[in-house]
Amino acid sequence: MNTNSNVYTVIYTTILVVIVAAILAFAASALKSRQQANADLAKMKTIMMAANMGQNPDGSVDKSADFMKLYNDHITNAFVVDAEGNVVEGVDAFKDIDLKSQFSALKKGQEVKLPVYECTMDDGRKVNILAMYGAGLWGAIWGYVAVEDDNETVAGAIFDHASETPGLGAKIAEPPFYTQFRGKKLSDAGQFSSVKVIKGGANGSENGVDAISGATMTSKAVSASLEQWLGAYKAFLTGRPAAKECCGACEGDSEKECCCSENCEGECDNEPVNTEKDE
Amino acid sequence: MNKDIYTKPFFLTNPITVLVLGICSSLAVTVQLKGALVMALSVTIVTACSSLILSLLRNTIPNRVRIIVQLVVVAMFVILIDQFLQAFAYDTSKMLSVYIGLIITNCIIMGRIEAFALGNKPWPSFVDGACNGLGYGMILIIVAFFRELLGSGTLFGFQVIPASWYMENGGWYMNNGLMILPPMALILLGCVVWIQRSIQKELQEK
Amino acid sequence: MEYLNLFIKSIFVDNMIFAFFLGMCSFLAVSKNVKTAAGLGLAVIFVLGITLPLNYLLYEYILKPGALAWLNPSYASVDLSFLSYIVFIATIATFTQIVEMAVEKFAPGLYNSLGIFLPLIAVNCAILGGSLFMKERAYETLGEAFTFGLGSGVGWFLAIVCMAAIREKLAYSKIPAGLKGLGISFIITGLMGIAFMSFMGIQL
Repeated sequence: MNTNSNVYTVIYTTILVVIVAAILAFAASALKSRQQANADLAKMKTIMMAANMGQNPDGSVDKSADFMKLYNDHITNAFVVDAEGNVVEGVDAFKDIDLKSQFSALKKGQEVKLPVYECTMDDGRKVNILAMYGAGLWGAIWGYVAVEDDNETVAGAIFDHASETPGLGAKIAEPPFYTQFRGKKLSDAGQFSSVKVIKGGANGSENGVDAISGATMTSKAVSASLEQWLGAYKAFLTGRPAAKECCGACEGDSEKECCCSENCEGECDNEPVNTEKDE
Repeated sequence: MNKDIYTKPFFLTNPITVLVLGICSSLAVTVQLKGALVMALSVTIVTACSSLILSLLRNTIPNRVRIIVQLVVVAMFVILIDQFLQAFAYDTSKMLSVYIGLIITNCIIMGRIEAFALGNKPWPSFVDGACNGLGYGMILIIVAFFRELLGSGTLFGFQVIPASWYMENGGWYMNNGLMILPPMALILLGCVVWIQRSIQKELQEK
Repeated sequence: MEYLNLFIKSIFVDNMIFAFFLGMCSFLAVSKNVKTAAGLGLAVIFVLGITLPLNYLLYEYILKPGALAWLNPSYASVDLSFLSYIVFIATIATFTQIVEMAVEKFAPGLYNSLGIFLPLIAVNCAILGGSLFMKERAYETLGEAFTFGLGSGVGWFLAIVCMAAIREKLAYSKIPAGLKGLGISFIITGLMGIAFMSFMGIQL
């Protein structure tokens, strides 16, 4: 048989491609549910770790913990809010929200959907677990921050990364870094503020943690992403619209809150939700 | 079949240090032994299996689309491995990320197929592929051993350097931060080549 | 501005050779003299600059989970991303093959200087690596994909030309016998990699 004729070549490649595609499609669909379960479990693990569950006393992961059980037992409510702090109906926080696409929406200033997981702790306390996602030095970084129900104190935080430098930037996923966030305040001199990662040491600051030495870029990325995401959650946390959303138009007015509630029209029409929390 | 086919790929014709094949996708995974081991096994499986399949097909492949046929078969095995890792070793698959995909263009695989599998019977091709994969893995593990031990003080993630030696605990020792940076992999590899060629003088270049 | 930043970042900070070691095989094999090195470098720029946008379109409109929704909303749940490796490499292999044939037919002069490298490029990790990084880092527009491809290509070109220039001089140096050739090339690439790490601090 002439293996160099055109007809033979075309038939040969077609058959080969069909066989290969069939094998792959079979393997992919057979393994799909298992892969999904792995991805879900990894996500549950990071969420629960943010609320300091499934951890050893030093903050490292407790290898015997059953994160699926922890998640099902403690996450009493999961919902999605928008940048005005309103709950978005009909969206599943765990399944439907892809942090990566929300991150690009956030960057472009488009409408964002932010997941919130309400976690009931063993002592009955409720904390809200908020998400974060950003660009590190080499690839994506993401994490969750648990906030106490005073909406100001950080209960715990956890970070993970796709490909930061092992031993340097990768340390954001290690206990000495993320346990620092416990007890920090989301406020600076009475104003809402993100927790900052400070190079050279935070010196016990109320809303700052020590950066990782040798990993300036990754530390900066964590700080910037936290600021960006907590800024988006601000309305939900403080119960009033973020300052820049409605105060940009009111120039010359130093009292920003007053500007928000009285002078701005249009954008501020919607009643701020959760006003009772705004103490 | 003689026994050369088993031993040569480890020393005399080692794919990395002598034939200079397959360096691309490998060095970034040598920071930790675990990643290096998984990578070595994956490459061995892909080289062996695709050599076997292409050796079986060797008389039917149209010459003009030879490269594409080879790539399709190799890519199929790589995707299968990727899918299996995602299903059964999720953390490792996350750690290796794009480097699993890059096995496709690992020159060892294409090199062995072109140079051996297309001209030999299936079984020798399979053995040749497997031994080359293991020869590659051996170098990877040597480099990863030193990088993990000196860079992080651990082996396979277990602390082997006593914690009391470290400076922060009042000792005298500090991990070598340079070891975990990518360029050190190349410098270590250069040293491995140097040692090998000092022993096997016939490999020295003029 | 965004594009310029991405371009500079992909040349210096995310350099394919010095930061990720992609395309090392041909980098070491073809860096013995500057002229051939430059030829291969140009071919890499060309192929990266074209295949990256192509693969971007394929991924965005066919392979990505839910990407087929533009054909028919009922396809929104289809996820073909497990095929991406094979589609990417097929695009690259086919493209290099077509370009090789076209160049041979229409520009024999160019073929003699550049065409011989094209088959080599199909298995150059830098090309497939570019496509995989594009998928991993989720570049958002065709323009970004193109800029990243071009920048990575230029970075690779720069690396191989520098290396070839050093190796030309090395031929006259006294080097321990066991280190000659391959050994010293590895070490020099490593040292250049350390030098390139200083670009990491640039704020872009």
